[in-house]
This record gives sequence, structure tokens and C-alpha cells, in this order.
Amino acid sequence: MTTASGPAVEVQNVSKWYGSVVAVNEASFDVYPGVTGILGPNGAGKTTLLSMMCGLVKPSRGSVRVLGEEVQGNIGLYRRIGVMLEHDVLYPFMTGRDFVRLAARLQGMNDEAAVDRAIHAANLEDAQHRATGTYSRGMRQRIRLAGAIVHEPDVLILDEPLNGTDPRQRVEFADFVARLSTQGKAILISSHILEEVEALADRILLVVSGKLAAAGDFHAIREKLDERPFQVRIGASKQREMAAALVALDAVESVSLDESGSIEVFTRNVAELQRMAPRLAQDIGSRLYRIEPLDDSLESVFSYVVQR
Amino acid sequence: MLALRQSVTRRKIALLIILSLLPLGLAVILDSTVAEEGTLIGPVLGGLVISVTLPITVMVLATGAFGNEVEDRTLSLLTTKPVPRWTIVLAKFAATVVVAAPLMAAVAAVITMMDPDGTGNAPLAAAVGVVVGVVAYASAFTWLGLLTTRALGFGLVYVLLWEALITTFLSGTRYLSIRSYIFGTAYGINDVFGEDLTIAMTPALVGAALVTVVFFLLTVRRLSRMDIQ
Repeated sequence: MTTASGPAVEVQNVSKWYGSVVAVNEASFDVYPGVTGILGPNGAGKTTLLSMMCGLVKPSRGSVRVLGEEVQGNIGLYRRIGVMLEHDVLYPFMTGRDFVRLAARLQGMNDEAAVDRAIHAANLEDAQHRATGTYSRGMRQRIRLAGAIVHEPDVLILDEPLNGTDPRQRVEFADFVARLSTQGKAILISSHILEEVEALADRILLVVSGKLAAAGDFHAIREKLDERPFQVRIGASKQREMAAALVALDAVESVSLDESGSIEVFTRNVAELQRMAPRLAQDIGSRLYRIEPLDDSLESVFSYVVQR
Repeated sequence: MLALRQSVTRRKIALLIILSLLPLGLAVILDSTVAEEGTLIGPVLGGLVISVTLPITVMVLATGAFGNEVEDRTLSLLTTKPVPRWTIVLAKFAATVVVAAPLMAAVAAVITMMDPDGTGNAPLAAAVGVVVGVVAYASAFTWLGLLTTRALGFGLVYVLLWEALITTFLSGTRYLSIRSYIFGTAYGINDVFGEDLTIAMTPALVGAALVTVVFFLLTVRRLSRMDIQ
């Protein structure tokens, strides 16, 4: 169980910089029991934030408290924290069971039943006696997860836990996380994939360029993301006529012609634009070469939320 | 066991065997050709084993103890557990000593035995001196491996420049040399290891103990404060 009243994790005015590079900039948030997703594009600072929550990286400024205690240098706190970092690291000469057993012993536990439970939760009973060096990426993720939960921690920090897993394993993982969250545990899961977090977390922290861009209920933030205007480039033979026809559509906010002669369209309804553009081209006798999104990267999606 | 398993890879075992066989082979050749008293204890044991082979052997093992874990990022598997940092450092340090000390002590004892001067407890003296050196070097190089990713380079410069060159010719520096601690310890047991720059056994043991403790504490401090990615 986490602390009865306070948040499981408190991050207050935390910054981290490496030389002139700012990895995290003035982040403040609390994490409560349940599943919280840390969402952001690659390089946004998610791993640095999680590493500070694990006490592995010292903040340049600010403080991180876990279960009411300062995490940095607080070795005893690791009895209540389970950590699975992004890096796909294991001891390849060990069997899966030995790896989980080692994790238990480092927690001061000599409990084979706990090892059994963790391996069962990770659904790796059949492969537990094989060397981890022979495991697939998904199996490696799962045995690392078993190592992180063997001591039944109150706070579980998982950095990109779904990397390398297949769809069936993702469903199993979602079930597993849901079970843990009902036990009052605080689970932090980072990902750069929106849909992954959507399937797992009730609450998200949106991190962009080292800053906390948004925090709160997942669905509210998702709605904001869906509302943003998309930029789409359209290549057609009669650009001016096509542009004039496009600008008349309700789905289109603005239209411009770029230097190469392509049409750049801002729209809040890409599906409608995709449906209507071929019809318009046919009506005006234009050939339609391509319709391509210009800014569908996660960075631009998240940046939109930051600007709002 | 984990520290030992990680420290001793196949490549390292091969290197250790080569580093051990090299002086032994040289000793056999010199023994059959020169066979003068002190030839093996002087140039082979002192000049090759204690000045070069021993520190390099320990350096290869000790710098990799943490260096490899930092490089392959397995260090976080240990440091996110409720394990005191000093026990992690002690395990790494002990793994180096357990592998290097018997090996180097055996090489030193055998070479001493082959020398006509190496009678009585001289092989034991050589072995004890070498073990003292292994312990001190292991502590220093374990710290170096955690401090920098270029530990082998810095270690080589230190061994070849400071231990093998400067402390050999500048008498004032011998109290700051692990090589001198090795000779001083061996000399305290058997005077066949005496030479111009040899220090007494007590300052040798005190110096080795200080080096070991100071670098051990520095390693614990470094492990406690460093960012682990």
C-alpha cells in the first residue's frame, strides 16, 4: 500500500541539465495510486524524469520524494519501489528464474514462492529455466518486469515497458497493470506511443522538450490533441483551381501554395479532406498526385498542446 | 558470485593466461641460459612481473568491474535495490582480488623458486608482497573504472610512467608507489628482495593499507553520488 493520504511520488520544481543541455525544465507534479502514463516523444526527458524518481539521477534543482521520503541516496526506499528501466539489460548467463531470484535476494528475500508468483505474473513459467541470453525481446521485457515486482513494491516505475512486445503480450500486460492498480499501487509507465498509454493509464503527464506540457485525465488531453489543425500537402495538376475548391470546404481552415507548386492545407478533419479531395479534383478536371501529412510527428502533436 | 562471473570473461581469462605465461616463459629461458643468482628475482620478477604484468593484470580486471556495468547499463539493476553501496564495491573489489591474487602470487613464487637466491621463505615473501600489491592496485583501479570510461588508458599511463619509471629513479617518490609497497613487504620477510629504493615493511604495509582504504571509500562515494543512466 502507498501512503494513506499523500501522493506516492512528489516532483517539485525539478530541473536536470547536462552541461548546456536541459533535459528536464522546472517540472512539478504528483503521482497518486493508480496508473499514470508519462507520454512524450523520444528525447523529451521522460527517462531522465523516471531516473530521478528512481534516485538514479540527481536533480540539478528541485526535489523528488517517493512515499513521503527523499529518494536520492535513500537505499532503504528501494524495498518499496520496483524499477524497470528502458535499457534492455539482463545478465545473459543467468536463467530467467535465477534473475528473478537474484532480484528477490537483493531485496533481502529468500522466498521461492515470491519468485514463482512473479514469474507466473510475467507468464514465463515455461521459459524460466532457460538462459536469458536465449530470450526474445518480449520475453526479456517480461522477465525484467518479474524482477521489478518480485518484492511486491508500492510504487512501480516502468520505462517503455511495451517495447518489443507483441499485441497479445500488450493485452496481457494491460490486464496485469490493471490488477496491480486495484491493489492501491502507484504505477508509472512511460511511452512515446499515444495508443499504448491510452490502453493503460487513467492519468497522463505529457512531457515535451523537457517540460511538463500537460497533466491530468487522459481523455481530456486526448480531446485537445484531436482538435488540433493538421497540415496536409496536396499535389495536383491544376493547383490554383484545386486550392480554390479546397478552401470552400468546411473541413479546411486555410490553403496556400508553396514554392514547388504544392497546395498546403490546414484542416481539423483529415478524414473529410481525404474523402473530398479526389472528388473535387474530378469535378475540376485536375489530376491528383498525392495527399500527405506534413506534421504528423509526435513532436508536433505534443507541441500543439504546449502552445495551447 | 555475480561480480566474479561478470569480471571473468573468456577474453579476460585468455589475457590473464598470456600475462602469466609471459614472465614464466622468460624465466625458464633465462634459467636455462644465464642461471646467475638474482637474475630472475631482479629483472624478471621485479622488472617485469611486479612493475608491468601485475598492475596490468589487476587493471584489466578491476577497471572492468564497474566499467563494464556502466557500459552495458546493468549497474542500475544493482543500484535500484536496497543494497548498501559499500557492499557492491566490496563485491567488485573482492572479485578482482580473488582472481588476480592467487595467479600473481603463484607466478611470483615460482619465478623466485627458480632463482638460485630464492631459497628459504623467499617464494613466500614474493607471494605475500604480490598479494599486498594486488589488493592496493585493485582498490585504485576499481575506482578508476567507475570514474572514467577511459580507465585502461589512464591506468596504463599511470603504471608505465609513475610506477615503472618515475618511482624507480626518484627516491623521494617511493613512499607513494604500490610497487615499492610490494618490495617493502617482501623485503620485510626475506632480505633477498632488498634494493636501493626498497622501503621498510611497516611503511610499505601502512602505505598499501592507506591506498586500499582511501580508494575504496572514494569508490563508494562515487557510486553513491554519480548519475546512473
